[in-house]
Amino acid sequence: MADYNLVKGHDIKIAGVPKNTVVEGETPEFVALKPSEFRGIKPKLMVQEGDQVKIGTPLFHDKTNPEITWPSPGSGKIMEIKYGPRRVIEKIVVKLSDEESSEYFSSYNPQEINNLSRKKIVSALLKGSIFPFIRQRPYNKVPDPDVIPRDIFISGWNSGPLAVNLDLALRRRLPQFQAGVDILNKLTDGEVHLSYNENTVSDTLLNVRGVRAHTFNGPHPAGNVGIQIHHVSPINLNDLVWVVNAQDVVRIGNFFLMGKLDTTLFVTVGGPSVLNPIHIKSRLGSKIEYLLKDNLSENENRIISGDVLTGTKSSLEDFIEFYHSTISVIPNESSREFLGMLRPGSSSSRYSLTNAFIGSRQKNYSFNTLKNGSERYILPINAWENVLPMDIIPNALYRAIYAKDIEEMEQLGIIECDEEDFALCSFACPSKIDVGGMIRQGLDLMEEEG
Amino acid sequence: MLGLLKKILDKYRENFDEGGKLERLYPIYEATDTILFSTNEVTENGPHIRDSIDTKRVMILVVMSLLPLYVFGAMNIGFQNSIAIGLERSNWENFWFGFSKILPIIIATFTAGAFWELLFAVVRKHPVSEGFLVTCALIPLTMPAGIPLWQIVVATTFGIVIGKEIFGGVGMNIFNPALMARVFIFFTYPTKISGDKVWVLGPDGYSGATALSIPAAELNQDALTLLNNFDQFDYSWWNMFWGWIPGSIGETNKFLIIIGALFLAYIKIINWRVIFGSILGLVGTALLTNLVAPFSSNSMFTIPPHFHLVMGSFLFGTAFMATEPVTGCHTNQGRWIYGILFGSLTVIIRAINPAYPEGVMLSILFVNAFAALIDWFVIQANIKRRQARYAQ
Repeated sequence: MADYNLVKGHDIKIAGVPKNTVVEGETPEFVALKPSEFRGIKPKLMVQEGDQVKIGTPLFHDKTNPEITWPSPGSGKIMEIKYGPRRVIEKIVVKLSDEESSEYFSSYNPQEINNLSRKKIVSALLKGSIFPFIRQRPYNKVPDPDVIPRDIFISGWNSGPLAVNLDLALRRRLPQFQAGVDILNKLTDGEVHLSYNENTVSDTLLNVRGVRAHTFNGPHPAGNVGIQIHHVSPINLNDLVWVVNAQDVVRIGNFFLMGKLDTTLFVTVGGPSVLNPIHIKSRLGSKIEYLLKDNLSENENRIISGDVLTGTKSSLEDFIEFYHSTISVIPNESSREFLGMLRPGSSSSRYSLTNAFIGSRQKNYSFNTLKNGSERYILPINAWENVLPMDIIPNALYRAIYAKDIEEMEQLGIIECDEEDFALCSFACPSKIDVGGMIRQGLDLMEEEG
Repeated sequence: MLGLLKKILDKYRENFDEGGKLERLYPIYEATDTILFSTNEVTENGPHIRDSIDTKRVMILVVMSLLPLYVFGAMNIGFQNSIAIGLERSNWENFWFGFSKILPIIIATFTAGAFWELLFAVVRKHPVSEGFLVTCALIPLTMPAGIPLWQIVVATTFGIVIGKEIFGGVGMNIFNPALMARVFIFFTYPTKISGDKVWVLGPDGYSGATALSIPAAELNQDALTLLNNFDQFDYSWWNMFWGWIPGSIGETNKFLIIIGALFLAYIKIINWRVIFGSILGLVGTALLTNLVAPFSSNSMFTIPPHFHLVMGSFLFGTAFMATEPVTGCHTNQGRWIYGILFGSLTVIIRAINPAYPEGVMLSILFVNAFAALIDWFVIQANIKRRQARYAQ
C-alpha cells in the first residue's frame, strides 16, 4: 500500500514512449547555458566570446546575489553569446575542445562529508557553481543561499509524459546519491523527503539512508514534486522548501566526492515524430541536434525541450534546458477539418478525457500541435478539477488571479501551486484556457507585491 | 467543392482582419469560418498538446441529446390534437402535424437568438459563443405548442439579452437564459403558458387539466385517487413516464429525458451530483409533505415521491436546466447542496404555493441565484482549512 494514493490526474497516452534501454549519446560539438530560462534573476556575464573555459567555470552570476554563479557545462571556447530582445542574454554557447578539463574543488570522503558544517557546504556549492541545481518552492526559482529551508523534497518518480525512467538514471549510483542526500540533510533543519512510486522505484532510492521516504500512487501529476509537497507537508504562509531533481542529487553528491561537476544527464527522446524513442546518456546543455540525429520522421515537427505539457518550444539548433531531461517531438499540424464540430468523431482519431468521442481508446495516440478549438470563456464542467490532485479550487483561484486579488489568491493557496502542476488542467480545458500560465502570472504578482 | 469554399473564406479574410474594411464584423466571419472548418490554431507554450474537446463540440452534443425530445414532442402534439378533435391518426401523421407546429417556433427562436448573439459579438467584440445554440434549442422545448411566434421572438430576445449578454456573454451569466425566456412569457403573457387551455392544440375553448393542476384544484382529497378518476387523460404513472400527456413540447417523455441525461453525464458534460442531489431533495421533501398530509387540507401534500418525479417538468429541468454548468455551482460539494435545494424547492412550490402548481422553473432560477453563495461557502471552508494549518 502506498502512503498516498491519488485518484485525480491523467496519464496521457502519447505515442513514442521511450524504450527502457540507454544508449551512449554522441558527444555534441556545442553545449550551452541559457540564462533566460532562470526565473527572477538578473544575469551578469563573467566571460566573453572567445574565452577558454573548463567544465564548471562560472559563466555568469546573478546581479542581486553575486555569489550565485552558473557553471559551464563543457570545456572549450565560448563561441557565441546570443542576445535576445532588449539585450536579454539568451544563451552562452561553448564549442567543446577535443580534450576536456574540469575546474577542481576540494573533495571529501563520505565520513568527511558527515562532518562538514552547513556554512562550509553552502560556500562549496556556491564556489563550485553547483547551487543553481537547487530550487525553492514557492516560486520555483534558485533560492537565496542564506535562508534555511523548512524541508528539502526530492521526487524519485517522473510521472510526466515521455519522462526519464529514474531507475535507469540512478542505477549503480547509490554512493553519489547517498552523498547528495547527506549534503542536503545538512542544508535544512527539517527533513529530506524522498517520494517514489513502488512500481518504478530504483534500488538506489530504496537503499538510501537519511531520508523520509514516501510512496505515491496514481496518474500524472502524482510524480510532480509540487503535488508531493502538497500531500506530505504543504507549504504554509512564509514557509520555504527546496527541491532538487533526483539526477541533480547525484550531481551534488558527485561534486563533493570528486570535487568537480559531473555533466552526465540521462535524457529521453520521444513523441510521435521520433522514430526510435529511447533513453540517451547525454550531458548537460547538449545541442538538441545531437540527441535527435537520424531519429526524426520526415514531416514538419515541433521540437520541445522538456515534456509536452510543460516544456519550451525549441529547435534542432537550440539546446536542452538546465532542469529538463526530456526532448519531445510532435508533428506540427495545420490542417482544417470540414464541419469538424458536427463530425461524430471516434476516439481513434481524437483523444479526450471526456467520453465525447465514440469507440475504444487507441493505445497510444499521435498528438500534434493543434489546439482543437478556440479560446472561450470558462465552461465549468470539472475538466480542471478532475486532473488536479490538490485541495485547491482551481476555478476560484483562477478568478482571483484574473481579478489580481492578492489577498484572495493567497487565501486560496497560490503559494502551494506551480505552473507545472496545472499543465494538465490546460490540456483538458474545453475552453482552451492556459491555466498554468495564469498560475504563473499569479505567482509573479505575489512575488512582486509580497 | 470544399477547396472552393475554403478559398472563398480565405479570399475574404483580409477584409475582416484588423485594418480591413469589415473589421467590425470579424466575429461573424470567425464564427462562419470555424463552424465550416475546424480551427487550425496551434499551441504556443504551455501544454503543446491539447484535448480534442472544445466548446463547439460540447454545445453540439447537448443539442444532439435534445433532438429525440423534438421528435417525440412533435408526435405528442399530434396525438393530443387527434384526441381533442376526435380523429384517428397514425403516429406518422401525428408527427407531421406536430412538426408543422413546432418548426415555425424553432425557426423564430433561432433567428432571434442568432441575431442578438451576432449583434452583441460585433458590438462587444467578443467571439460568437456556441452557447446560444443550446439556449435556442432549449427554448422551444419549454413552450406550449400554441405559443404565438411574436411572443417567442420577444422572449428569446429577453433570454439572450437580459439573461446573458448584459452580464458579458456565456460564462458570465447568472441565470439560465432559456429559462429567462420562459419566465418572461410566464409573467408577461401568463394566459399563453399557464392554466388548462394552452397545453393541447384543440378547438377553441378546449380545456385539459395537467396532472399537477388536478390535485391543486381540490381540497381534502387523495391526489392518486383524483388522478385515477380523471378520465380525460390517462394520468397513470407509466403513461406520464412515456409522455403521452399534455405539456410543454419537450418535457413529457421522461424516458427520452433520462436517456439524454445519462448520455450527457457519461460524456461528463453535466454533473451527476446535481442530478442525484435534485432527486434526493425532491424525494425527501415529498416524503415530508406526505407525512404532514393527514393534518392538512392540501391535496398536493398527498402526492407520493415517485409521482412527483414524473409529473410536470421536473426531470426535464433537472437534466437540461439545473445541470447547466455555468449558472449552477462550480464546486462539487456545492453541486450537492444546489441539487438538493432545487429538488426540495420544487416540491415546496408545487405543494404550498397556490398560484403555481408547477415549481420547476422558478426553483431553478431561485437556486441559480444562490449558486454563487453556495460556492462562496465551499470556498470559505477551503480557506479556513488552510488557515487552520497556518495557525499550527
